[in-house]
Amino acid sequence: MSETVTITLNGREVEADPKKPLIAACHEHGEAVPHYCYHPGLTPVGSCRICQVQVKQGEAPPRTVAACRTPVAAGMVVDTEAAPAHEARRQCLEFLLKNHPLDCPICDKAGECTLQDYAFQEGQGKGRSVEPRRKLPKRKDLGEVILLDNERCILCSRCVRFMEEVPKTPQLCIAGRGSHSTVETWNDQPLTGNYQGNLADVCPVGALTLRKFRFQARVWNLLKVASTCPGCSRGCAVTVEVLRHGALKRVRPRHEPAVNGWWMCDQGRFGFEDANRPDRLAGGALRSQSGGWEAVPTDAALETTRDMFAVHGEARIVASPFVTVEEGRELAALAKTIGCRPVFVSPPPNEWADDLLHTGDPAPNRRGLSELGFEALPPDEILARVGEVEVVLLVGERVADLIGREAVAALPEALRVILMDEALVDSPAVDVAIGVPNYIERTGTWINVDGHAGRLNPARPAPPQTWTLVRSLDYLHTLLHTEPQGARR
Amino acid sequence: MNHPTYLLDRIENKDSHTLAAYREAGGYSALEKVLKSMSPADVIDEIKASGLRGRGGAGFPTGLKWSFMPDPEKDTRPRHLAVNADESEPGTCKDRVLMREDPHGLVEGTLIACYAMRCQAAYIYVRGEYRLPYQRVQAAIDEAREAGLVGENIAGSGFSCEIYMHKGAGAYICGEETGLMESLEGKRGHPRPKPPFPAGFGLWGRPTTVNNVETIFNAPFIIDRGADWFRTMGSEKSPGNFLCGISGQVERPGVYELPLGMPAREILEKVAGGVWKQRKLKAWIPGGSSTGFQRPETIDTPMDHDSLKAMGSMFGTGAMIILDETASIVRSARVLLDFYEHESCGQCSQCREGTQWLAQIFRRIEIGEGRMEDIQLLEDLANGMAPGKTICALSDAAAIPTHSVVRNFRDELEEYVREGGHPDYRQGRVLEETTS
Repeated sequence: MSETVTITLNGREVEADPKKPLIAACHEHGEAVPHYCYHPGLTPVGSCRICQVQVKQGEAPPRTVAACRTPVAAGMVVDTEAAPAHEARRQCLEFLLKNHPLDCPICDKAGECTLQDYAFQEGQGKGRSVEPRRKLPKRKDLGEVILLDNERCILCSRCVRFMEEVPKTPQLCIAGRGSHSTVETWNDQPLTGNYQGNLADVCPVGALTLRKFRFQARVWNLLKVASTCPGCSRGCAVTVEVLRHGALKRVRPRHEPAVNGWWMCDQGRFGFEDANRPDRLAGGALRSQSGGWEAVPTDAALETTRDMFAVHGEARIVASPFVTVEEGRELAALAKTIGCRPVFVSPPPNEWADDLLHTGDPAPNRRGLSELGFEALPPDEILARVGEVEVVLLVGERVADLIGREAVAALPEALRVILMDEALVDSPAVDVAIGVPNYIERTGTWINVDGHAGRLNPARPAPPQTWTLVRSLDYLHTLLHTEPQGARR
Repeated sequence: MNHPTYLLDRIENKDSHTLAAYREAGGYSALEKVLKSMSPADVIDEIKASGLRGRGGAGFPTGLKWSFMPDPEKDTRPRHLAVNADESEPGTCKDRVLMREDPHGLVEGTLIACYAMRCQAAYIYVRGEYRLPYQRVQAAIDEAREAGLVGENIAGSGFSCEIYMHKGAGAYICGEETGLMESLEGKRGHPRPKPPFPAGFGLWGRPTTVNNVETIFNAPFIIDRGADWFRTMGSEKSPGNFLCGISGQVERPGVYELPLGMPAREILEKVAGGVWKQRKLKAWIPGGSSTGFQRPETIDTPMDHDSLKAMGSMFGTGAMIILDETASIVRSARVLLDFYEHESCGQCSQCREGTQWLAQIFRRIEIGEGRMEDIQLLEDLANGMAPGKTICALSDAAAIPTHSVVRNFRDELEEYVREGGHPDYRQGRVLEETTS
């Protein structure tokens, strides 16, 4: 914490960081000063002029200033609700709305648009402009991620600054002058890079929207739950947003200064299709003598698993790197009981590593599992090793995907394979399959590459009859300790 | 008219733009005096004592502005002077005369200002359309460099100063001092929010002072002849002479050197020969388009900073525009607002949308589609744009003429709304079609 100074904010004496603009102090202390061009993660430019507040310094008469470009100074007396400041903001709003289309009913941003919010709160019911609104391109193709609606744009330049300052790949600019200004890319070239999705987040209105979220949901129907991105070992803090019937519709970064700031990469943002996979396994399934699958309750499947451990010889536990610390702890205890060192699948690094967020390591809990004593092994090494034993427990969300579904399907039939995964691998190689909740259906902790703990929270229930992995493992462990051994399958 | 002059004294001389002619007329003696016998602080004190006020529009005391530059002992960053020659205010064409006819006066003034503020380099930002003035100033710099007056170790004094020229590309906003600095740095001419102020964080983040051409041009005279001499001209709070560019419907439009404080009526009637064709005065703009349309009754106001401020206007650049009884205030205002809409940089919401909106409303009133409530709307919008609500003063510059029309010529606005617009449109004929 840097040194602070005391200012008076709406009659209260509060501490404020003089290195930050006044608006940051206002927000920190709960005063809702509206803002469009200001974003705490970007350089303030003071151009939208909506953040006007009244400031009195010394003996000078009070002034109405833009809070985002006014440095905090000791002793300043700030009134965010003074009549002149309020009036200046209302006037500014009227200008911003003059050419803004009345798109709200079909705008993806509606419901989380600060222009809409502030217009609702402050604006007049009826606009005073009788002039035709500006006609501009409404579906401008900015590449695979983003669509641009120039009519909705309020020219706050957040997107331009984001591209310049965060991924440091300036690709957007404001072209034209004055009332002819528009956000553009050079020569209408598509945007590139792994951070384009953030543009839709920084855009305070519906000008920059995600192609993948276009007309997917009204945002007020989305349940928003704090979670952690599974995309890489950075573990960016995110909000997962699901519709009422459970479909994950959107993932957005959640402010976490120690990990990702305000941002996340597109790989993480759009890598959630797995969460909506249709082939989810509910409860347990046993491979029947005839070769098909017999659905059984999870406890029955676990009892069969116990029998396999008890009857056959050497066993191995292979975990997914998506296994949480809590689940890993149970697994480590189980491994001790059956006498093996647990391993986790260490997938090869991908090509997305950069010096901003993406680590290129697709194992979100590598550090947590390593610290629990798990051995990291690449998929081919794992396949080589399980050939040496009689029973193998493949456990955790996406474990088959990460080893390779075909490789799992091709495991020797003599090997007893218990698969605890989201979906079953339909192969004679697999003997028992038990469904597990995925990362938006359970609680838990992943430790990121820097040792920061990222929490998972359930945003929807797991498929019916599906136990949490912790519960399943605990039950299995109890069975191994208490049930008499010897029953053969 | 018998008043002492100095600013334009040399321009009638043969080849007045050359070094030889400038030397012949006593040029560069002030620079010599400064280099030989004055400290930088002495120069600033002399300018302060003279009471010289900036001629670029705001009328800020020049000596005080120069003294804002940080102490070079404590702040060792390189420092710059930027000379604002991006003269673009409608009605204003005074600096053009100085640069074209007497460029060495600007060079000498620039060197003196740099010496006073210990600037190692000066940048003269010339309006792009000013081709001959640009060439003349560039030639003067080259001649002066040849003569050892620009560059390293000027006249053997140990003082070094380089002067660079920069040509604007036609944007009015680049005449705003921070827009000018952005443009000089090679960026778009978007004005910077203040603070930080240029004296602490200007060109390339270094201490910078921006002065108008005419302001700088005054410095050698003050150094040469003394602050007391300077104060014998003009008014007490606005000493010296100024270049008055008078245009519009007058008999003899032009640029005249006049003492500050001369009543506008005297300028109009005695200097410029009165309103064109002896028509009646309908309105006048005192100091460039941003100073608003004033009623004819105010024509007795003395042309100086404080008198015009008291009258409710501004001295601006001292560029008077005269409108006779046949002129349409509404059409004139629409033309002005079209200009501001075109020149707004578009950063601030109020200015970007407001200049367009005001222009659209004036346009509607002009063509007979105005509504009575538009008059109140004009006033409300202008209130939303100014004062001090935006990064720079362009928004204010558009709001001031709008206010002035509503306040001073409401009768014409109401008449246009009632009768169906400008007389051209009322009769169903469009004599002058301009796009908005």
